[in-house]
Amino acid sequence: MKFPLKPFAIGATAVLALGLASCSGDGGSGDDGGSGEIDADHSVGAMEDFGVGDTFVATEPVEFGLMYRDHPNYPLKQDWSILQHLKDDHNVSFDIQSVPLADFGQKRSLLISSGEAADMIPSTYTADVANLTSGGALLKVSDYLEYLPNFQDKVEKWGLQADLDRTRDADGDFYVLPGLLEIAKPDYTIAIRADLWEEAGLEDPATWDEFTEQLKVIQEKFPELSYPYTERTWSAAGVALPATLQAASGNFGTEAGWGYGDGVTWNGSEFEFSGAQDGYRDMITYFHGLIEDGLLDPEGLTQDEDTAKAKFTTGKVAAISTNSQETTGYRQGLAESGLDDAVVRNIVVPAGPAGNIMDATTGGRFESGIAISAKAADKPYFKAMLQYIDWLYFSDEGLEFARWGVEGETFEGQGADRKLLPGIDWNGVNPDAGDNPKLLNTDFGYYNGVWSLAHGSTAEELGMMVSEETANFRTEMNAEKEIADGGPAVPLDALQREEVAITQTNLEDLVMTATSQFLRGDRPLSEWDAYVEELRAAGMDEYVATINEAAGTAS
Amino acid sequence: MVTTTESLTAGPDLSGIRASPRGIKPTPSYRVFTAINIVVLCLVGAVTLYPFLNLLARSFSSESAIRGGEVFVWPVGFNTTTLLSVIDQKLFWINYGNTVVYTVVATVIAMVLTTTFAYVLSKSHLKGRGLLIGLALFTMFFSGGLIPNYMLIVELGFKNTIWAIVLPQAINVFNLLIMKSFFENFPTELEEAAAIDGLTTYGIFLRVVLPLSRAVIATMVLFYAVAFWNSWFPAFLYMDKPELYPVTVFLRNIIAGATGTGEGLSDAAVQIGANVKAVTTVLTVLPIVCLYPFIQKYFVSGVMLGSVKG
Repeated sequence: MKFPLKPFAIGATAVLALGLASCSGDGGSGDDGGSGEIDADHSVGAMEDFGVGDTFVATEPVEFGLMYRDHPNYPLKQDWSILQHLKDDHNVSFDIQSVPLADFGQKRSLLISSGEAADMIPSTYTADVANLTSGGALLKVSDYLEYLPNFQDKVEKWGLQADLDRTRDADGDFYVLPGLLEIAKPDYTIAIRADLWEEAGLEDPATWDEFTEQLKVIQEKFPELSYPYTERTWSAAGVALPATLQAASGNFGTEAGWGYGDGVTWNGSEFEFSGAQDGYRDMITYFHGLIEDGLLDPEGLTQDEDTAKAKFTTGKVAAISTNSQETTGYRQGLAESGLDDAVVRNIVVPAGPAGNIMDATTGGRFESGIAISAKAADKPYFKAMLQYIDWLYFSDEGLEFARWGVEGETFEGQGADRKLLPGIDWNGVNPDAGDNPKLLNTDFGYYNGVWSLAHGSTAEELGMMVSEETANFRTEMNAEKEIADGGPAVPLDALQREEVAITQTNLEDLVMTATSQFLRGDRPLSEWDAYVEELRAAGMDEYVATINEAAGTAS
Repeated sequence: MVTTTESLTAGPDLSGIRASPRGIKPTPSYRVFTAINIVVLCLVGAVTLYPFLNLLARSFSSESAIRGGEVFVWPVGFNTTTLLSVIDQKLFWINYGNTVVYTVVATVIAMVLTTTFAYVLSKSHLKGRGLLIGLALFTMFFSGGLIPNYMLIVELGFKNTIWAIVLPQAINVFNLLIMKSFFENFPTELEEAAAIDGLTTYGIFLRVVLPLSRAVIATMVLFYAVAFWNSWFPAFLYMDKPELYPVTVFLRNIIAGATGTGEGLSDAAVQIGANVKAVTTVLTVLPIVCLYPFIQKYFVSGVMLGSVKG
């Protein structure tokens, strides 16, 4: 068939022309000038006086748009108690824009970019929408903090102002109200077979070096183990040991794994490139050493989760990376394999050469938060909506309501003595739940990330409705460890962000690839200097300079 | 060199290379060839069948057996926890119903549009044919992109309606070209004869061409139906209400829930996490697998008819 070129040319020209025409149209919608004053026309349903300690009740029924992240484990039900109570007690109902949890991020970006997003966009981290703010579709919520007394109160009380400032862009604005935590919520660590440790006369390791020694002892004492310690990859190929490297990185004075972030670490006076730090090399050397000594299963760098789990639950290894939820799974697996005597314990992450430190990401006290559509500012109920957001997500009363429900209906007691009523359960926390209990999230709608951002917030809440083990782990981690200083804000403007984006990706690829190679031994650590040169060639120095310049710490 | 007479009467001796009919003794080399053929084809069959059987076995196996890598083609530790937890949900059946409706409506619309468009394009005397083909081909290589498409659908008022799913995908250019080639090779004599007998263009198309094109139509129906059955992205984009999703979006979400953060896990969650992918895949492909044998005989000839002569 002859390929018809002419129609193509005509079509392409037409499309181009159309495209240009639409570009020249109104590009900036939702610009409110950032005054931050809300007039009476936009205060329908809002309370006259709303401050810390006040319960939000709209003065007349209001309906807010809500982008709802639909979790398949507790699919939305219109007759949920939480919806009933919000409607009956607070005059609030929702026009729900449902988005399945799978691919939530993709559709959220699409809806925001096309200006079709609902008024409120919960379950959203600052980083999720960092690239969408320039379109003007999101509200500069930083202009409206005066309407968010509870938020401001918690930020001040919990010393989060510096962290909040770090989320500001070059213009000094931020677009997401993060979920706030009073204390850090570390979760990832290493699970050990405590029964074997005890049999070998060992206690939990205080440092990574001690951990090495202990693994040697375990290996000698239990020759039936194929390796003392294995790892799981947790994520798509390319990032080796993401969870463990993150957990360990603070103790080596660097940032790595899932905590790698933008690839720079604050050293107290300026930002350094994490992947080229001595601490990073020491950490890689340490874990490579474990592999070389036959203590860490080399397959741990590549095997999928199921394989790793199977090794641990069938008793072939004595230690494995974990989080609180995985540990529950390991216990079940061990029981199913008939290893009834096996005891699993999560150790406090050992200290390292840099000290006993949580990296800034692990120690971070921001959770997924809520963004607001710019067009919500034009809605008559705008002020009421801000008050509702402030009350539900940031007041003690709202936090308790979203998580626990209503006293007498779902729980009883006060403060730290609260417990779920008999017949109601969440994740097996209620011993009185009985058989076939109703579930707090599935049947009532509480404990739902859409209405409960940080699942706890206050230290008291964080210690409840989790297993004792998890609560203890958090307490010990917070008590024993310092949290690494994340450094000052790096407010890149849009142009700078674009400039560094490609360099940043290239550098990250280089670091991740080299990390895996060094760990596996595919590349000897003697080539470290050559690797750093590769980073330089890929623009490391310029990248770090840009970051330091933006942070105002350029030397 | 064989003489002309000989070749006319007896023909060349082909017994060595051609499949031997009953009664003629196959040569040893032919037997070896057949044996290798059988072995290779059996292997191909096994390789093709194994993943499916394994999937089926996994969907009925226990979590520990799956984790332990003990499941091959037969379920180990038979259980139906995941299957029941999926089909227990009312939304699953609503969404399954949606999938059937979307697939049927979309396939019907797609077939009407593709067949008529392809027929028109196959007529070389049509003025502007090149432009029409060009327009169709253009969409094969270029598109407006996700956001403009989304805004278009919203502006058209298609959001949260079946039209958002069935209309934008109605003409698949690849299928269109296959059909066009097929119609181009349709004997013009038949159409001329029909015209002489007094049939109009529509009459020729409906009463002569279509009845003789069953093979390619069946193939296209299969192509379209499978594509619409498996499609999830348009529904995911354009539907804001769970009760409007096709079952693919529902199942995709279940997988995300089982493998994701694990918020609010029930007791059965560990089991579900282990084989939810297998179960959902089985549930999704089952109807297509059942349908396939009935269309398959048209399928091979249909594709060959279209593609080879392009």
